[in-house]
Amino acid sequence: MDKNDLIIRVAGEGGEGIISTGDLITQACARTGLEVYTFKTFPAEIKGGYAMYQTRASTKPLYNQGDTFDVLCAFNGQAYDLNRSRLLPGTAFVYDGPGGDFEPDVPPGVFAYPIPMTVTAKELGNTKAKNMVALGALSHLFNIPEQALREIITAKFSKKGGTVVEGNLNAFTRGRELAAALPKTDPWNIGVPTEKNDTIVLSGNDAIGLGAIIAGLDFFAAYPITPATEIARYVARHLPKRGGTLIQAEDEIASVSQVLGASFAGKKAMTATSGPGLALMGEMLGMSFMSETPCVVVNVQRGGPSTGLPTKHEQSDLFLSIFGSHGDCGRIVLSVEGVEDCIGLTVEAFNLAETYQCPVLLLSDGSLAFSTQTIPYPDPASYKIVNRKRWDGKKEYQRYTITDDFISPMADPGTPGGMHIATGLEHDQAGEPNYTAANHEAMQAKRFRKLDAVVKNFTPAEVDGEGDSDLGIIAWGSTIGVVREAISRLRAEGVSVKGFYPKLLWPMPVEQFEAFGASCRKVMVAEVNFQGQLAHFIRAETNLRPVSYTICGGLPFTPAMIVGKAKEMLK
Amino acid sequence: MSCAQTHLHKVELQTKDYKTDTKPFWCPGCGDHGVLTSVYRALSELGVDPNYLVNISGIGCSSRLPYFVRSYKMHTLHGRAGPVATGVQLARPDLAILVNGGDGDGFSIGGGHMPHLARKNINMTYVLMDNRIYGLTKGQVSPTSQRQLKAYTTPYGGVEEPMNPILYMLTYGASFVAQTLATNVKMTAQMIKEGMEHKGFSFISVLSQCPTFNVIDDAKSFKGSAEEVQEGHDVGDIDAAMHAVNMAHKNNRIPVGLLFRQERSTLDERMADLVKQVGGSPDYDLRKIIDLARP
Repeated sequence: MDKNDLIIRVAGEGGEGIISTGDLITQACARTGLEVYTFKTFPAEIKGGYAMYQTRASTKPLYNQGDTFDVLCAFNGQAYDLNRSRLLPGTAFVYDGPGGDFEPDVPPGVFAYPIPMTVTAKELGNTKAKNMVALGALSHLFNIPEQALREIITAKFSKKGGTVVEGNLNAFTRGRELAAALPKTDPWNIGVPTEKNDTIVLSGNDAIGLGAIIAGLDFFAAYPITPATEIARYVARHLPKRGGTLIQAEDEIASVSQVLGASFAGKKAMTATSGPGLALMGEMLGMSFMSETPCVVVNVQRGGPSTGLPTKHEQSDLFLSIFGSHGDCGRIVLSVEGVEDCIGLTVEAFNLAETYQCPVLLLSDGSLAFSTQTIPYPDPASYKIVNRKRWDGKKEYQRYTITDDFISPMADPGTPGGMHIATGLEHDQAGEPNYTAANHEAMQAKRFRKLDAVVKNFTPAEVDGEGDSDLGIIAWGSTIGVVREAISRLRAEGVSVKGFYPKLLWPMPVEQFEAFGASCRKVMVAEVNFQGQLAHFIRAETNLRPVSYTICGGLPFTPAMIVGKAKEMLK
Repeated sequence: MSCAQTHLHKVELQTKDYKTDTKPFWCPGCGDHGVLTSVYRALSELGVDPNYLVNISGIGCSSRLPYFVRSYKMHTLHGRAGPVATGVQLARPDLAILVNGGDGDGFSIGGGHMPHLARKNINMTYVLMDNRIYGLTKGQVSPTSQRQLKAYTTPYGGVEEPMNPILYMLTYGASFVAQTLATNVKMTAQMIKEGMEHKGFSFISVLSQCPTFNVIDDAKSFKGSAEEVQEGHDVGDIDAAMHAVNMAHKNNRIPVGLLFRQERSTLDERMADLVKQVGGSPDYDLRKIIDLARP
């Protein structure tokens, strides 16, 4: 039987080729036209430790990583131990044996396939090819397109020469033969797509890099931090093609400072970091707001506080992102749901920064950072690109002139007559320091009131469902994709439920929240942090009194968890 | 010599043309007045077009200097003038970049940035205005304060040894290092001028007395300790520069003059080469980048 929606998990020791095996499965599925959504965990250490790569492939659109796997491929005993509780009746289990480092006690109802991965790789004189043996076996057992895999393996290793390609293909073939010798007992086969759309496959981090380049990024200042570093990798590779530059700074304070400098000089600039880096940037975000210098900062959230769980998923920087800086300091905070958003909302982040001349924070998270997904081919011409309002050279120039929309035209250095100062000191309309009560009140009002238009002009939050319902579920970030699936399952069971998916988190679209709340008998906010950070803001800013449903175990929600909580609330 | 910072945009202006209407807020007798005069003189002698000059500072008494200079300018955060200036310079290599700041700003809170401005050879001129004290917060010891200084937080005298900014900058790889006294406007203006003409990161340490809070390092004591770089000193020899600074330090002397100058490529040049190497251009088809993500 072909399963339209199959989840294959490959697990083992970091460095054994787990990630590349998962990548190959993903690429092959996407190449044949399947939708994919991947999910990875890896250790904080470079060598060793448990690594896992899960590919969900379907003939229908996917919004999350799913509940659990249908197929587990364990490279070692640790992978088996960590996943044993999820080996439910009906799942398929491929493992390294005989000759692996463990002898599994296969639970009843599980379809087990011992494949001697280590031994076979050794026999072939290529211990590194253990994962290719596994991949061959998986390919045969679950109908992962053989031809696509062969092409991708060939392309992947072609740089290393024909012998390496040959060796890997041999191991792959041997894996297929080993599997063919076993009777197929489970019912699972990967789905066969009926149509092939024009798609690309990108991770969340790469998509943010692409979005920035589409937006017209000129300058990227980087400082390495998990799980955000791949954004810099993508930009470093592709931005020079468009004539732009990336600099690696000495720390995050320097990276955001460089962004402000480049932006003052008239360029579109950004940096990307995670929570610890954002904490260091707080003071300069205040300067961005005070001096009205556009600035885009991406925060790929990870488990905190402090060093926390550096490689794990969490949505716990909402407080920091909205309030992180001293003094009354405004900003715009956006949050992405999936890979497609990572492109579109990054473009939007630049547009907002250019329009409102303030810091714009874009929140992603550890799960989305490394999750690769199929998305429709993005037409670069389809994105609206906004550039800052610049002085027309007519009247005498005052940098902070109070206009009808409170937005003051900027002047790039080199513009005759446009000389001015960007300063963190309170200043008057000309930029001169001025600490009088009347001036501070007028200028704070100017800087905040220009942001009044943000909510009005931003695409309203998506409401999933119509009319009144018993339960409304609010989610942000990659949790939205989980809630989408949970809601469709609940509806299939006849539950009356709606979803609310805000992408603009600050300034908060209060009326939209309240209208949604008014249509639901009960409201739940699902988010991956301990304190219920979005729920906190909802209580503070709106008339909603939602139930806060939080987890913080370093992993995202599953649809089943949301379904369970919803039923409990409606009992 | 190449004049990388200023060759593009030159005008003929008097020193007064670089003055703004804002009057300097420094105390009478403050060395910073002399630095400002030197800046005006250097800019007018070079003929820098103020429209293409960006004057950047951090926080402190000396960091107010840009308010008094006609130019584009940024008055940034404590310690962050260097990285902000880096962003401006890399984004717009056609601009002349002048950074001013104090000893606390540059070598305490901002000390982590200095090595990277120097080693990356960011094309800018950094004028350190070293009064060996925190003035704006009313007289606390700084990383360059002499140990015996009794100040706000050291009522019994200090307990730390001072650092030597120019020795650090030589070690960090600055491609131009000079030192002067604020009271010597002629030499200070000359060094700022040469620093701005220098292609790369130029560092000019100006000992700028604080008559209000630093009771031991006054104009007179600076003058008394100053020792001009010996005739015949080879400014291209890093060992000679380090030796001169070390010897002066040992003898409690302050070496003044141009200590080191080296021609080497700047970061913006190397980045431009990189763009050229990949055939980069704003017209590069985005689809070619997106196509790489096809499965």
